[in-house]
Amino acid sequence: MSEIYISKEKFPEVVGQLMSHGRVFGPVFQGQFHEFARLDKPEDIDLSFQNTRLSPKDLFHPHSERMFTYSLAKDDPERSILKEAPKDYSPSVVLGIRPCDAKAFQLDDRNFDTETIKDPWWVERRKTTTLVGLACNDPCNTCFCTSMETGPFDASGLDVLMVDVGDGYVARSVTDKGKECLSTLKGVQTVPAQAAEKEAQAKKAAEESMGQVLDMKPIYEKNTLELFHDPLWEEVHFSCINCGTCTFVCPTCWCFDIQDEVQGDSGERLRLWDSCMFPLFTFHGSGHNPRSQKIQRVRQRFMHKLKYYPEKYKDGPACVGCGRCVKGCPVNIDIRHVARLMAASCSCPA
Amino acid sequence: MSNWEPKIIAFLCNWCSYGAADLAGVSRMQYPPNFRVIRVPCTGRINPKFILSALRHGADGVWVSGCHPGDCHYIEGNLYARRKFALLKNLLEHTGIEPKRLHFSWISSAEATKFADVAREVIRTVKEAGPAQHFIKKQAEVA
Amino acid sequence: MQAYTERIREAAKRLLSDGKVDVVIGFRKGTIPFMNEPYLAKTAEQVDQLVWDGNCGVNLANYLPKRTDRVAVVAKGCDSRNIVEHIVENQIKREQLHILGAPCKGMIDKRRIKAELKGKEPTSVEETEGEIEIKGRDLKLTLNRSDFLQENCAICIHRNPVLYDDLVGDLVEEQKDVDRYADVRQVEAMSTEEKWRHFDDLIAGCIRCYACRNACPACYCPTCFVDESRPQWVGKTIDPTDTRTFHFLRAYHLAGRCTDCGACERSCPVDIKMRQFTKKLEKDVKELFDYEAGINPEMRPALDFYRPDDPQAFIK
Repeated sequence: MSEIYISKEKFPEVVGQLMSHGRVFGPVFQGQFHEFARLDKPEDIDLSFQNTRLSPKDLFHPHSERMFTYSLAKDDPERSILKEAPKDYSPSVVLGIRPCDAKAFQLDDRNFDTETIKDPWWVERRKTTTLVGLACNDPCNTCFCTSMETGPFDASGLDVLMVDVGDGYVARSVTDKGKECLSTLKGVQTVPAQAAEKEAQAKKAAEESMGQVLDMKPIYEKNTLELFHDPLWEEVHFSCINCGTCTFVCPTCWCFDIQDEVQGDSGERLRLWDSCMFPLFTFHGSGHNPRSQKIQRVRQRFMHKLKYYPEKYKDGPACVGCGRCVKGCPVNIDIRHVARLMAASCSCPA
Repeated sequence: MSNWEPKIIAFLCNWCSYGAADLAGVSRMQYPPNFRVIRVPCTGRINPKFILSALRHGADGVWVSGCHPGDCHYIEGNLYARRKFALLKNLLEHTGIEPKRLHFSWISSAEATKFADVAREVIRTVKEAGPAQHFIKKQAEVA
Repeated sequence: MQAYTERIREAAKRLLSDGKVDVVIGFRKGTIPFMNEPYLAKTAEQVDQLVWDGNCGVNLANYLPKRTDRVAVVAKGCDSRNIVEHIVENQIKREQLHILGAPCKGMIDKRRIKAELKGKEPTSVEETEGEIEIKGRDLKLTLNRSDFLQENCAICIHRNPVLYDDLVGDLVEEQKDVDRYADVRQVEAMSTEEKWRHFDDLIAGCIRCYACRNACPACYCPTCFVDESRPQWVGKTIDPTDTRTFHFLRAYHLAGRCTDCGACERSCPVDIKMRQFTKKLEKDVKELFDYEAGINPEMRPALDFYRPDDPQAFIK
């Protein structure tokens, strides 16, 4: 694996080089918040951010995506035949993505890219995209990635990990794709001797700033049905207003809905984000709704992330601790608090 | 654009304006055929969603016509509707729909002449506004 | 603020132990700065979690519709107006309610604070009558409370609850000579095309999460129009026309019912100022029908009522 050093002075030039090879996405400051967007010019990228307000999941799984188009014209010989909508799969780089968000894509792969089921659009986009991440020197007070089996310097979901060491970035490839990406860059330096020490310091400081680590083990060990029927949900669900904010800002919420829209003779099949917070999410054609009550929907979200997923895949939680739902929730339902309640399985105050 | 003709959705109350349209017809009164008439039992039955739906389907104008105040078949349906339409018209205009596209009238079943006059007036003003540009639902602008 | 907290707890305990109510709805301290969580207390011990400060902006009237038990609820001016709405619209009975009126000097806008902090994060916040003291890493700041109120609070003319059984603080002076509609007039002065663009830009970031709808106490339809499928009135993608249709109809459903409590804007994860839709309606309802939502439980809502001489200059 290769490693290089890019001084902050040279950084825009390096971004320019990446842009000459393909599309580059990065955090862009818009109004009061950073969002991932395609860069028009190297200066657009702003790495002085904690994290973006929305997760970058829409780069692979857009909020609304056209899957197929079809014709309904009576005289069209190809009437009613679904035709795949063209997509842009040209090579792209996501620059400055946080380790937690990259880790989230790995978790999402469990849904979109398995041995038996492959979502062609997700898989193709993943294949042609290189994730050049930026380690988190300054986690937010809502971050809890270290509790969710990742961390501010976790490279596991990335192709390249960059670390800000003050006057420049150390970039280290993690995968072959990352190595190839770094090899195309010109005018970069070798890593200075004192950088490693600075890196280690930054890592330690970042991890320590996140405070106490949640103990998830009791949740995994607990009987699923007991947890399901625990009175804690009575307390947790009350304030929820069943909006979709938590699921829409979440990098690991992958659920979607499929809708057909027809205009005149032509139609299209669309895929849209959906949310388990919406009653319609589970509404059956028969009129029955297995999760008609708010408490059932709230429980589903937390149980899915922290219990069902680890149980099914024998792996960590379906949460990377990015804290977006904590920040975004209009009524302050805090997944960290819920996880603590689940671990303690007692509805007494934290 | 010279031969463009507007499409106008006309919501007509069964008990008055719809009858007026009928009477205008049998009286051989002339007005251009730019309307697609939707007969409703009362203007009070018109949900604002209907009007929005017309615009979303590409209508260049919308015309709602019902009974004069006091003449409602259901006593007061048009009086409730009057409040709804006042707010709806204002909000549509406030958010960028041209006032010339939205028309409301009271026409009794005996007022065939008024019907034809208003019909011509509606068509004239919608023509001035030109083809509708906004609120038309086309193929979704998505990824 | 501390005084309110004590009086809320005291009243809540009294009401629960006297068996006057089954539950008390208030706020408990949030897990992050500038946020509190709506909380349902059923026992005296739970009552000790109830708090009050400038971060109680969520409208608690939202938690009342269809409740069948006896409820004590803490209510600011706007909450009380929405409670009146619920009573008028048969969502809850007056007899079920014990309203703990909380005269209000406005709630803090966490977005304005965020803009002021320029990326720094607060760890502790102290709030006094007139000031907010914020501390954090490399951060020590004292802000004038009245400069950081939610926009709707800054122009609020009903700070005192309009309906209550007990007060948890002294009535406050109502703001006089407030220009409630400066921003509406600004839009009214635009050309048609400018108006269209203005609202296009306003809602451009919408992710259709429906937080605005769900945070609104007046939105309680069993099936919302966005979920209706036969016919489908509005598409569910982020197509600009569909997003516009959603925001337009959501606002219109609140015509003559919106109390400008600001719950919608407060809840929006992408900072859309959707009050610009509802405020126009509020202004029109006031000007055309001389009606203000949620003031008088004896009065029918603006669109469930008419006068023979209602304005009709727009009708041919």
